[in-house]
Amino acid sequence: MRVILAEDSALLREGLVRLLADEGHEVVAALGDAVTLPEQVDELRPDIVVVDIRMPPTHTVEGLRAAVEIRERRPETGVLVLSQHIERTYAVQLLASNAERVGYLLKDRVAQVEEFLDALERVHSGGAVIDPEVVRQLLVRTTHADPLARLTPRERSVLEALAQGYTNTAIAEKLHISVSAVEKNLNAVFDKLDLSHTTGYNRRILAVLRYLQS
Amino acid sequence: MHQDLRGAASRGLAGALGTPGPSAGTSAVPTPSRWRRGTGILLGCLTALPASLYFLVAGAALGPFLLWPRTRADALGLLMTGARTLTALERGRRTLFFADRFPEHYTASDQKILRYLAVRCYTGLLCAVVIALLGFGTVLAGLLADGVWRGSLGWEELLTQAGLGGVLLFLDLQGLRSLAALDARSAVECFGPSERELLQRRIDELAASRAAVVRAVDAERRRIERDLHDGVQQRLVALAMLLGRARRSRDPERTDALLLQAHEESQGVLTELREVAWRAYPSALDSLGLREALGGVAERCGIPLRIRYEVDTPLSRPVETAAYFVVSEAVTNAAKHSCATAVEVRAAVHGERLVLRIEDDGKGGADPAGSGLSGLRGRVDALDGVLDVESPLGGPTIVTAELPCA
Repeated sequence: MRVILAEDSALLREGLVRLLADEGHEVVAALGDAVTLPEQVDELRPDIVVVDIRMPPTHTVEGLRAAVEIRERRPETGVLVLSQHIERTYAVQLLASNAERVGYLLKDRVAQVEEFLDALERVHSGGAVIDPEVVRQLLVRTTHADPLARLTPRERSVLEALAQGYTNTAIAEKLHISVSAVEKNLNAVFDKLDLSHTTGYNRRILAVLRYLQS
Repeated sequence: MHQDLRGAASRGLAGALGTPGPSAGTSAVPTPSRWRRGTGILLGCLTALPASLYFLVAGAALGPFLLWPRTRADALGLLMTGARTLTALERGRRTLFFADRFPEHYTASDQKILRYLAVRCYTGLLCAVVIALLGFGTVLAGLLADGVWRGSLGWEELLTQAGLGGVLLFLDLQGLRSLAALDARSAVECFGPSERELLQRRIDELAASRAAVVRAVDAERRRIERDLHDGVQQRLVALAMLLGRARRSRDPERTDALLLQAHEESQGVLTELREVAWRAYPSALDSLGLREALGGVAERCGIPLRIRYEVDTPLSRPVETAAYFVVSEAVTNAAKHSCATAVEVRAAVHGERLVLRIEDDGKGGADPAGSGLSGLRGRVDALDGVLDVESPLGGPTIVTAELPCA
């Protein structure tokens, strides 16, 4: 796939370029800030953009702003955002409009090469990827007043996998249970989260969002 | 306490009072003779008359205008003009006959001036009465002596009169003394900052310096976070990526090359970590003292740095720490922003103060209100020190810090 990178640390940028080249992807541009990123996307039409949230000049949320802008202007482009710390607000901002072709990963996840490449593939193929750490923290934070607190451990692990963008088949493989058991658990999750019976896919995303906004 | 306060207030940068008030530093000025002070007191009785008359006449004339809101400001202005002239006279009298020294650049409020004049009228007139009583007592004592001389006075009556006269004389002198003290005290209150004002000023200074310290600490924490994130963490991620690539590689030669790179990178991470730790707090400061820690600044500085260390007295830990950060920050600024090719640092003790002077040959134009320099100012203010930055356009920049050692 064709990739644009935006990452301010030259060392890490270089590492990512090499890594992606090793895997046979083409890095069409590697930028040190997010200022020209949307223009570059317009011009080069990459399949996917990998962008760090904290970038010059102010080192706050330049990357996130650029990512949201790209998602509005070119929804066909996949966007994978790397974050220094887990911030629920960022994840919600990214996923709010449309939870397809989007990923929100902890920056250190890049160090786990397989997971990073896997996330890249899943975003490219139209999925939504949320860092397992985000999901874990949310589960820790839930209280008894929260519908999430009523989930059984199995239902939680299914939702956790769902939030990371896995399909039912992949969840079944990951948790070593049958696909029908996954479906049963997911239906229980939808019920407990009071999700209206819309189409299955939408419900999945709603579940994830409900989860993030809890 | 009063003197301490004055000293404290005059030490601060913004709280410089000029010369201290009469209660401080009177020892440096010889006390005027009794005759001179006596003349001053007598003159004080006389000057109370015009002041009282002024209050009566001007007060009566301007009274209605003072009560009417529209003309109040103008009437008050008029009243104050005269009052200030009379007060200036009083100030002259105190300086001339009592050798009082007041701060030059202190302007008293209208309220203070009026209160002072009112007190002056009362002390002056009362003083006149007391002196008159003393004169009357003297005449009576003369008559008594005359009676004794002529033998027309019995012993019993003489003793009664002398006892009564003695008590009245004591009371009179005591009153005179108290009035003179009150005159001196009210002048100090009016012509210089009162103790309350000094306290208020000191409290403001302390509050400001406390806030500045908190700001400086926060700025430092932010810097440490940035150092860790932009340096150490990125390098660790890059290192982990190299290892990840090495594990995925099918070609043994390539794996070896990647591992070699990873090993080199791990050395880089260690160096970076050491640097960050040193910037957060130089451990040499605790173990080896200021001189060695400053040597560390010289080693890490990108431009030639000459240190003249002329301190032979032991310094307290807070002073050493503040001195280290002043030098380190000033040198970093010089290296980063001023395009300097050389920096000279001089540390010396003058009396009770450690004086640091950091001079570079750069292009100048440093902003004393900038984040780096205001952080330094906060650190120095916290120890009641003084920071001075001279940085004309075109250079050179000279940062001077004075820290009390005691």
